[in-house]
Amino acid sequence: MELLEYQAKALFDEIGIPILPSVSIKNPRDLKQLQIPYPVVLKSQVRAGGRGRAGGVRFVDNTIDAIAAAQAIFNLSIMGEYPQVLLAEARYNAEQEFFLAIVLDYQLRLPVLLGSAQGGINVEALLEQMQMVVVENEFSPFYARHLTKKMGLTGKLIHSVSTIIEKMYYLFREKDLDIVEINPLGVGTDGKVMALDGKISVNDYALGRHGDILKLTTPTRSDLRSAPVSSPPLSLNGVEKNGEVGIIANSTEIALATWDLITREKKKISCCLVVGETPSGRLVSPTFLAQQLEVALEEALAVEGLQVLLINILGNAATTETVAEAIADYFQPPVESTVPGGEERMERPTGYLSRKERKPGSQAKSSKGPIAKPVGLVIRLVGGNIDPMKERLASTPVYWTENLEKAISKTISGKK
Amino acid sequence: MMNWTGQVVVQGISQAVAAHYAPLMKAYGTKIVAGISAGGGGGKIQDIPIFDLVEEAMDQVGEVCLSLIFVEPYQVLDAASEAIAAGIKQIIITTAGVPPLDMVQLLQKAQVNHTFILGPGSGGMIIPAKTWLGRLVAEFYTPGHVGIISCTDTLSYEVALELNQAGLGQSIAVSLGKAGIICSTFVEWLPILETDPETKAIILIGQANGNYEQAAAEYLARRNKKPVIAYIPGIEFPGDGIRGDAATIIANQLSYSVPTNSTVKEKIATFQQANVLVAQRLGEIPELVKKVLKKS
Repeated sequence: MELLEYQAKALFDEIGIPILPSVSIKNPRDLKQLQIPYPVVLKSQVRAGGRGRAGGVRFVDNTIDAIAAAQAIFNLSIMGEYPQVLLAEARYNAEQEFFLAIVLDYQLRLPVLLGSAQGGINVEALLEQMQMVVVENEFSPFYARHLTKKMGLTGKLIHSVSTIIEKMYYLFREKDLDIVEINPLGVGTDGKVMALDGKISVNDYALGRHGDILKLTTPTRSDLRSAPVSSPPLSLNGVEKNGEVGIIANSTEIALATWDLITREKKKISCCLVVGETPSGRLVSPTFLAQQLEVALEEALAVEGLQVLLINILGNAATTETVAEAIADYFQPPVESTVPGGEERMERPTGYLSRKERKPGSQAKSSKGPIAKPVGLVIRLVGGNIDPMKERLASTPVYWTENLEKAISKTISGKK
Repeated sequence: MMNWTGQVVVQGISQAVAAHYAPLMKAYGTKIVAGISAGGGGGKIQDIPIFDLVEEAMDQVGEVCLSLIFVEPYQVLDAASEAIAAGIKQIIITTAGVPPLDMVQLLQKAQVNHTFILGPGSGGMIIPAKTWLGRLVAEFYTPGHVGIISCTDTLSYEVALELNQAGLGQSIAVSLGKAGIICSTFVEWLPILETDPETKAIILIGQANGNYEQAAAEYLARRNKKPVIAYIPGIEFPGDGIRGDAATIIANQLSYSVPTNSTVKEKIATFQQANVLVAQRLGEIPELVKKVLKKS
């Protein structure tokens, strides 16, 4: 999870990385009580890069200008993102600007310190002068000093900059960061350093053990309301609008392998959904898998122009049975007699909807019956006892197979 | 020297997944001798005795060659450290979602102590009809002479099924896991399979956005003792790959576009340059295996 600049700076401040006096502003009116002497910089708090060029950073000399500029920034979307907060910060005249960062290098499987004597917004120059030091063993400040030397720093700057790197490393380690970056680190006429802008990204898997960071970024009420109850199936990009084949698979890699096989036969993919996979790779329960599959079926069958849907799911017998049952429930919801209110239930064409309906307050989705659509269904499942499910779907045109190549050729050849 | 057939303990045996798989593995032939769960000591899961500490289990059962770890993500570093301190030299971490910096720390500990670790997020490994360590679907594998190293379990199943149909069994199947930081990669496993007398050919299944295929190709360019066939899904996929080296991460972070389109094609080219056979589709793998086995 990426923090906003003002949140990153709060963490910098906590561990003694110098930052300028600043206040976060949620409403332009707040600027009337601003305690920071002018001139002041107003910065849009968005995650997107390039906010300076986009007009998200303004210099102001008095309250009237500040309010006008703040209103403009609040109404400026940067890469589709509107700021919820502005940062009002004292101005600073830097003599020199450096770039500093620490990232986890996934190829080396080690943290790497990065530095460029050419910090700031000229990215090409910055990258050209980029220096790296790999932290091969337990961190010790000498790694930081090595970096400063590689950056070409001399004299007192060696100590002052490496002290900043040390503190960044401490944050990196303590808060489980993917990235901590200061760009630029300004050097004043007095030789003192100042973190003028900062980025911090916390590793998502580690968030659960950093209550302080979760508190910093507590979602607003509107976020909470729109948050999905469970994670939806993963949808792969790169599908074509006029595609005719849909894929539902149970890992990204098997989806890609299926994608390759179908694309080679000159068929276009109109949707590709992955179920049963969580971002962290944790195992999912059968109930969760079945729910995700229902959502995926709903999504896939809503895609315009879909002619054939290939479901390719490979797992143990229990998974196979869960999946077959979920598919059967979707297309032929189980008959539920002797239940009061059953009449209303009969109107719902799918298992997904009938199950949903039991929960009070949940709104029914569209009632388009997938059976009404002329979509061919190819289901590739291996093992398990799925004959009862096949029987339940006897009246629905479904092609069942255990063999991937057969599933592919049926998907390519047949509409039925 | 690796030893997959000695005594095994299961750390975190009271976790539902572990409690489910441990007896199944034992029935398969794996020598599961103890489960570890602090507070559960004295209990049993089916006929597997539970101990509070790894050390206590070892006092009772004697030498243990491997620990299978199923504990919660934030307990993984500690559980693995406990196994290392008790002198266990092989660890399989099935838990996924472990913070990567924990794994960086664990890797350093493992290097100092000469401990071999598979995972985190690994489905484990299987030597068909002999030993089953983890949660791969055992029924998909049949005994034979083809080794499979894969990041993704589902593709490992797919390849095993293809091989079975062609009458080719497997000597070993290893699941590396899909985590950003994994403790053993292709480069650590290739030499193990190369020295395994049962393995005659090796299938390496990479990942579109994996970080370890490049190093594998470099290793294979230097030495290629046994025939290796590589397969990476996604060559037709138009999406971008993700590269996880520090320079690329920072360039991306600075919104500086580094050309990363079709890392799959790039990876395939690297394997081809290293004289590794690359299967273009899954169905081609058995033919290629037969071809290389005939040659050798």
